[in-house]
Amino acid sequence: MATKTKSSAQRDTPKWEMVIDLDRCTGCQACVIACQAENNIPINEESAFHEHRAIQWIRIERYWEGEFPDVKARFLPLLCQQCDNAPCEPVCPVYATYHNEEGLNVQVYNRCVGTRYCGNNCPYHARLFNYWEPVWPEDLRNQLNPDVTVRTRGVMEKCTFCIQRIRRATRGGEAVEDGALQPACVQSCPTSALVFGNANDPDAKVTRLKNDERHFRVMEHLGTDPSVTYLKQVDVDG
Amino acid sequence: MNSRVVKIAIPVVGASVLLVVAFVGWFVISAWWSNPPPVLGFGEGPEQPIAFPHTVHVSDAGLDCQFCHRTVSTDEAATIPAVAQCLFCHGFDKIDGRLSTSETAQEELAKLIADLGEPQQPINWNRVYRLPDHVQFVHAPHIQQGISCSTCHGEIGEMQVVKQVRNLKMRDCVDCHRDNGAPTDCSTCHY
Ligand code: HEC
Ligand code: HEC
Ligand code: HEC
Ligand code: HEC
Ligand code: HEC
Repeated sequence: MATKTKSSAQRDTPKWEMVIDLDRCTGCQACVIACQAENNIPINEESAFHEHRAIQWIRIERYWEGEFPDVKARFLPLLCQQCDNAPCEPVCPVYATYHNEEGLNVQVYNRCVGTRYCGNNCPYHARLFNYWEPVWPEDLRNQLNPDVTVRTRGVMEKCTFCIQRIRRATRGGEAVEDGALQPACVQSCPTSALVFGNANDPDAKVTRLKNDERHFRVMEHLGTDPSVTYLKQVDVDG
Repeated sequence: MNSRVVKIAIPVVGASVLLVVAFVGWFVISAWWSNPPPVLGFGEGPEQPIAFPHTVHVSDAGLDCQFCHRTVSTDEAATIPAVAQCLFCHGFDKIDGRLSTSETAQEELAKLIADLGEPQQPINWNRVYRLPDHVQFVHAPHIQQGISCSTCHGEIGEMQVVKQVRNLKMRDCVDCHRDNGAPTDCSTCHY
């Protein structure tokens, strides 16, 4: 390689995608906690859950399948699907949310005026509104991530695929080794159910897995074209 | 009331009101487009707990910026050197030795030592350059692309007190990014 850095125009633009293997997910919530810590998400009080105003960029949806005692628990980690045809984007009156060339659905917090149209238009309920000023206990204030903006009351927020980590890894135009760049949820998953990578790289693990025969995408019939693919063995016995 | 006094007073008052409005307008507009004009103490650098002169250290002692601002070419923040690094030259024994000659210099250096105390305390320097929290600025790519410190910070080596010389608002950043083929995607700077 002659030069180490390339100008942004010369860079091969990545397309960030995620694959979640539901056959590996145990519903342990490690991803939820990791995300909370990485992205300066305030601590949700119990009442916030009752009011459906808790902020979780990734959450575990739990389903019961069958009748007791032949019951099975199913888990589905749900985060912003970074849809390529995102319903949230065209409804923003101030262009605070848009699609960038890396396939990310970006939320510009300082541009947001808090109309909540985007959240209402999201079929995954992946967008969350700051109904309150975020507060942390005094001894947790110093653990805030300096690479992530603390969102104030009145703005929308959502999963960013840990864009701060993407920026750090790709700065200066260096190519990222497959698997070296992981969002907090992927990094913390004990069963490696979550896989993240550049889907424009034909050899990437994420590209291979998203074409696995078990693949499906949540609410694909809506035409949202999500960037998150789920894997699940269809259980013939029920 | 005496009508002649009123006749004179009205234009005088009118003119002074106009003057004040014009001054405030000029101030606001120039502060908006660039930096506040250097009147009434605006545009000056903040006073520092120790009058640290870049002139002496950069122009006279010939130190490289990166000797003190160590992580500027590798990281987000340039960082301000720890006190231990000042003591590398201004050691306790050297305080009235070869380094410091003038009386003010002695006074400031005495503060440096006194501030330390036991256990060693960092110095509470006042920020000069400060972007809002919703902007993620990174020094490293700029330095790696060969942009010199003076492009954004001016001739620091000639400043007795560091002050902000370039406004570095969003338009300023994006204009340069456009001219240099650097990314202008919102999520380059806001996330
Ligand atoms: C001897 C160590 C030393 C050297 C060498 C040095 N600096 Fe500094 N610099 C400091 C200290 C200490 C401060 C904090 C006090 C202040 O703001 O005056 C500072 C502050 C600054 C600030 C303001 C930071 C803020 O608060 O926003 C800038 C900008 C800066 N230096 C740039 C430079 C540049 C450019 C050079 C090279 C020409 C340089 N410095 C060389 C020690 C140094
Ligand atoms: C592209 C413009 C630009 C260039 C080039 C630049 N700086 Fe800065 N610098 C900034 C901005 C903007 C801030 C404020 C950052 C913030 O508030 O987060 C800053 C802050 C600083 C600070 C104080 C805060 C910190 O990061 O620790 C120091 C010290 C500093 N710069 C030193 C330098 C030195 C030394 C160089 C040259 C090697 C340099 N800068 C080159 C724009 C620049
Ligand atoms: C490489 C050696 C070196 C380092 C490191 C250094 N200084 Fe100095 N400093 C000098 C020299 C040389 C002088 C000039 C002394 C004189 O004027 O007689 C000086 C002078 C000063 C003065 C007196 C300025 C005046 O008015 O003449 C102050 C205050 C000072 N330094 C503070 C600091 C602080 C604070 C640091 C740490 C951030 C620091 N210095 C780090 C070499 C150094
Ligand atoms: C003097 C020109 C200039 C100014 C002023 C400037 N930049 Fe830059 N910036 C560049 C260049 C050149 C690059 C390198 C792009 C590359 O690596 O291809 C860059 C890169 C960056 C990057 C890293 C992009 C990446 O690859 O992820 C960030 C973040 C950034 N600038 C933020 C800012 C902010 C915020 C400001 C305003 C405070 C600013 N810049 C002002 C020229 C400038
Ligand atoms: C090169 C870096 C850069 C890029 C790219 C950038 N901004 Fe900014 N933006 C800034 C800086 C720096 C500020 C802070 C200016 C200041 O000091 O007030 C800012 C401030 C803002 C503000 C003002 C917030 C407030 O509270 O005053 C908004 C809104 C904003 N940006 C939106 C955007 C949008 C939308 C985009 C994409 C189209 C974008 N920015 C792209 C650097 C950038």
